[in-house]
Amino acid sequence: MIQNLEINKKNISVEEIKFRENNLKTFNKIGFPNRRQEDWKFTDLSKLIEANFKELKSNKRSLSVYKIEKINDFEHNYIELVDGFLKSSNFKYENKDKISIEEYKENKKINIDYSNSLINLNNALSEGGFSLEILSNYRLNKPLLIYNHFSDNVKNKIINNKNLIILNNDTSLNLVEINSDISEHNFILNNHTHISIGLNSSLKNYNIQKCKSNGFFYKYVKCSLNKNSNYENYIFSSGLKFNKIEEDINIEGEQGNCLINSALFLELDSHQEIKTQINHLKPNCTSHQKIKTVLNKNCKSAYQGKIFVKDIAQKTDAYQLSKALLLDDTSEFNSKPELEIYADDVKCSHGSTSGSINEDSIYYLMTRGISRKKSIELLTKAFLFEVVNSIKDIDIKKLVEKNLDRQIYGL
Amino acid sequence: MLEIKNLKTSVNNKTILNGVNLKIKAGEVHAIMGPNGSGKSTLANVLSGKNGYEISGDIIFNGKKINETPIDERAQNGIFLAFQYPLEIPGVNTNNFLKTSLNAVRKAKGEKEIDTLNFLKLVKEKSKELGIDEKFLSRQLNVGFSGGEKKKNEILQMKLLEPKISILDETDSGLDIDALRIVADGVNSSKTKENAFLIITHYQRLLDYIKPDFIHVLSDGKIVKTGKSDLGIELEKSGYTNL
Repeated sequence: MIQNLEINKKNISVEEIKFRENNLKTFNKIGFPNRRQEDWKFTDLSKLIEANFKELKSNKRSLSVYKIEKINDFEHNYIELVDGFLKSSNFKYENKDKISIEEYKENKKINIDYSNSLINLNNALSEGGFSLEILSNYRLNKPLLIYNHFSDNVKNKIINNKNLIILNNDTSLNLVEINSDISEHNFILNNHTHISIGLNSSLKNYNIQKCKSNGFFYKYVKCSLNKNSNYENYIFSSGLKFNKIEEDINIEGEQGNCLINSALFLELDSHQEIKTQINHLKPNCTSHQKIKTVLNKNCKSAYQGKIFVKDIAQKTDAYQLSKALLLDDTSEFNSKPELEIYADDVKCSHGSTSGSINEDSIYYLMTRGISRKKSIELLTKAFLFEVVNSIKDIDIKKLVEKNLDRQIYGL
Repeated sequence: MLEIKNLKTSVNNKTILNGVNLKIKAGEVHAIMGPNGSGKSTLANVLSGKNGYEISGDIIFNGKKINETPIDERAQNGIFLAFQYPLEIPGVNTNNFLKTSLNAVRKAKGEKEIDTLNFLKLVKEKSKELGIDEKFLSRQLNVGFSGGEKKKNEILQMKLLEPKISILDETDSGLDIDALRIVADGVNSSKTKENAFLIITHYQRLLDYIKPDFIHVLSDGKIVKTGKSDLGIELEKSGYTNL
């Protein structure tokens, strides 16, 4: 089925060609992940791809020019990506000497000690993506929006790209990644993002899916946190046919904080999975995860969260909580929490619930003249509200809320 | 306005109401008293259209049988139930809920939906009458409200929706004397010749403030006695056992 999965050998070193060829060989041996692999037990990607793609080609850089619709509600810097390639960037609100942005170049210093055939595939074929670096002692004045746009060129294509985000010491960045899509066709995005957060630095990363898409997205995020640094990820990526976000986070410095919050509204045959592994490697760090999912009509969702606490990581404060609301009985939610703790003075907890909507609440709202449909919409939004409300930046919160309203109320 | 004929209800084959007959005309205030477990709250729930009851007999509202009418339509047509235990709904903003509710009812009546500005003006005025702090309106619906605040919020909803018949299910329970007076004033000031009230209570004290035209005693799922407002005082003295 997969055709033309050839390595683009132009302008790259012999060493890199070898690296890519080895990875392709591994991928060809294993193929797309399937249920037999523990990390994919809730998601048979191999089967999904077989069912949705008659043919699959590797994506090539397109020369077409696209005008991407920008958000006008608030001032922001931006990066434009089209079909996975960096098209343009604009940092007009910032000191440009403090920011470096360029197309991603293979960086062997970044080790991925993780075996996954999609990463092999990405290593073999990766093209495009971006490298962003914020130099020391600089906190961005305005948020950075990444317009991650997919054109109609991506029909039956697989895009493999990598992004690198480096925040040096004493920096901060609010990053909003907005996926938009004019393609009505099936396509795959296989992205690997590497994030490094320096001393006393903070990255807040928001993922928003602007419209319904026939995209199959796999995003692997590897993040390392230095002393007294902060990483927050807010996931609002509902609307994709398939989406799996995998985060592998190493808290490598004391007083490091990590937060992963997600509010998803899934409908009509969509499939989403969040898998996290938070490694507490130093004492006095926190990690908090709250995943809220609403499933409406024949959807599947899973949350696999693992907290690892190294023996020296005393005074760790970590929790993970997953709540799912199933609006009918055609959907399925799976949760697999894991705690692996080697330190003896820590606070770690996990919880997972899934259930249907509270009929008493519907009754109460209906006695006030509100229709059943509208009552369910109100309660759905109320369920996800907690996560949306945890966003402190008012502009971004409004953007997320608007997007969620569109999904729930069909506005 | 409301006529209940030989109403029988059961849940899982357990009979709760066993032939209730009641007629309420516009402009009247009726009270239902009765011992615990006599079916008072069931009657209120059934009138509002709550699911889960097997029903026989007739509920006729404004000349139409409404046994099968869904909950929201009954509310839109003018039946209001003030809950004994108003629900806390985290994540739903009180103001947004009130506006959604008011507009649903207005729309059903063929009236124009109210815009945010006029709504806020209206809700401010009505809450002031009930001594409700405006801050409550921007909070999540009933979340962290005291018992009294929840009950006042029910009366606020009643005043906003201007129903034809209001059923108050033990609205006085959990209220202190001041709140009781405010709630009673809220009801009294809503009374017109066109609307009616059905007040369910255990105690005479609410009826000291809201004078009913009739008091009915519900016992074992039936109305066993009907009288004028002095029946309440009598019951307060002698209890239900002598009936």
